[in-house]
Amino acid sequence: MLRALNILLTTLLFSLSSAVFAVSVEDSKGTFTLDYAPKRIVVLEFSFADALASVNVSPVGIADDKKPTRVLKEVRDIIGEWTSVGTRSQPSLEVISSLKPDLIIADINRHEAIYEDLKKIAPTVILQSRGETYQDNLKSAAIIGKVLGKEGEMQQRLAQHKDTMQRFAEQLPNAVEVQFSIARKDNMYIHTADSYAGGVIRALGLSNPEITKGDKASRKVGLEQLLAINPEHLILGPYSTPNIVDTWKTEPLWSVLKVAQNGNLHEVDANVWSRCRGIMAAERIAQDLVTIFQK
Amino acid sequence: MKTLLSSFLLALLVAFIVALSLSLGAVSLSFEQILSGFDASSEFYFTIHEYRLPRSILAILVGGMMALSGALVQGVIRNPLASPDVLGVSQGAGLAAVILMTIFPSVSIFWLPWAALSGGIIAALFLWFLCGSHSGAIKLAITGVAMAALYSSAVDFLMLTKPLEVNNALLWLTGSLWGRGWNQITMLLPWLVLIPFAFSLAKRLNLIGLGDDVATSLGTSISMTRLWALTIAVGLTASCVSICGPIGFLGLIAPHLARRLVGGRHQVLLPCTMLVGMVILLLADLVARIINPPIELSAGIMTAIIGAPYFLWLLFKVR
Repeated sequence: MLRALNILLTTLLFSLSSAVFAVSVEDSKGTFTLDYAPKRIVVLEFSFADALASVNVSPVGIADDKKPTRVLKEVRDIIGEWTSVGTRSQPSLEVISSLKPDLIIADINRHEAIYEDLKKIAPTVILQSRGETYQDNLKSAAIIGKVLGKEGEMQQRLAQHKDTMQRFAEQLPNAVEVQFSIARKDNMYIHTADSYAGGVIRALGLSNPEITKGDKASRKVGLEQLLAINPEHLILGPYSTPNIVDTWKTEPLWSVLKVAQNGNLHEVDANVWSRCRGIMAAERIAQDLVTIFQK
Repeated sequence: MKTLLSSFLLALLVAFIVALSLSLGAVSLSFEQILSGFDASSEFYFTIHEYRLPRSILAILVGGMMALSGALVQGVIRNPLASPDVLGVSQGAGLAAVILMTIFPSVSIFWLPWAALSGGIIAALFLWFLCGSHSGAIKLAITGVAMAALYSSAVDFLMLTKPLEVNNALLWLTGSLWGRGWNQITMLLPWLVLIPFAFSLAKRLNLIGLGDDVATSLGTSISMTRLWALTIAVGLTASCVSICGPIGFLGLIAPHLARRLVGGRHQVLLPCTMLVGMVILLLADLVARIINPPIELSAGIMTAIIGAPYFLWLLFKVR
């Protein structure tokens, strides 16, 4: 009798303790539950690597397009070595499987088609990364913190992030119009008010050109359309040099732009501003803006 | 005898590449490890049973079906440059898929194959509506090419106006076996029914090859045969494209290679074309997977790399 009671108590205790470790979060596919603290994590977007690094967790694998330098330097310094699992658009499932992960973090935009396969490899949290806003990204970071069993640490980091951004904002002018654009060899994409970079710009007390509001995160523009936006500051992320802007500079229309007249064309690292996304990426963007405005 | 030997060698080649596909990849596996991969408790279970095996089977099915579809179209249009693409089916399917991905990005990816399939079939029905069943092969081909161009430009327009979804759409449009598995194989299985029907057309296709007049005087109904062959080709292409995206040039070059190997008798040509298609797609996917791991290229890029120069060579030769 006593023994039976003992067993009962032990099982009860065990189930209780596992219940203590269990986390339950809402991801893009519904409720995700995990009853252990994950140790081997594979992330399929840079923003997730940023979230992990923000609470000092190193992923075993990152879909880094086999170009390690695409991971934000600040993130690389924290997480150390990892294995590339291929491109973000078509990560290699067999490499992911060979890493024997106990958690996969995937992007609903890119990886919905392989969600079922990923789940066969390891429990998979699927969140939005591509096309997310600044606020969405912070919410995702909070969810990831919870899944990692580091909710407290993540909340602390997020609070610290808010302070950091506040301090950067104090060093920046108020409500000055800033437009971020990606320049390639023969086209330009503006990142609108609803884009990640647009959100960071707003969070720092600067403003987005009115005309780009209510649009998708990025949009291809020609020189005439850029003139219609006519921002006070144009921040350029070149994916190649020379790029379209070098061509446009030779056209008379370019000289009508406010940025051309006032010399407010600035260059930044396109990778940081456009690909990375995350707590540390936002702080890097803020740092870049402070440098630009204190020139 | 020569044809029998060729077919046998082709089948052997298919088996060999399947074995290679199971063994090679980002992680190379030995024979014992491959065998252990069929056991659910093995650490290679996912790699073999859930990843490489279904992908190889899918390459066999899609390669065979697309190639067969190409042989049927070339058989009834009687033009070496013809392929399922001249029916506008892949482009119609592509347009439907891109509409779903760009205009309704929040719709679950589950619907993508169904949208593509309906797009392909609607494109075929529209072509039939435009041409009727009694018009000549040339009219059919030209109308089909024009419709295909129309669908492609609509795709371009959508991708220009919705840049955020472009990457996913472009990826799908190159045609790939990445991320496809047992579910997609089950979706393709019902379409295999079309294959015996295609084979049963072989003799009539031989007669059509002699010219419309000869075929008619020998008792073949040209328009009925053409309708059947094209319907089957549409079904095969649309189902494959809905699963893997439009894998280019496969339906064009596989029948040509097969014809060089075994000649133009459709009883032999059709099965051999399927084998050649399987070899090409298996090889394209294998190379796409292992050329620079862990980067996965699309099989469609590989078939285009082989197919495009061949197509050009063909163009010059035909002139």
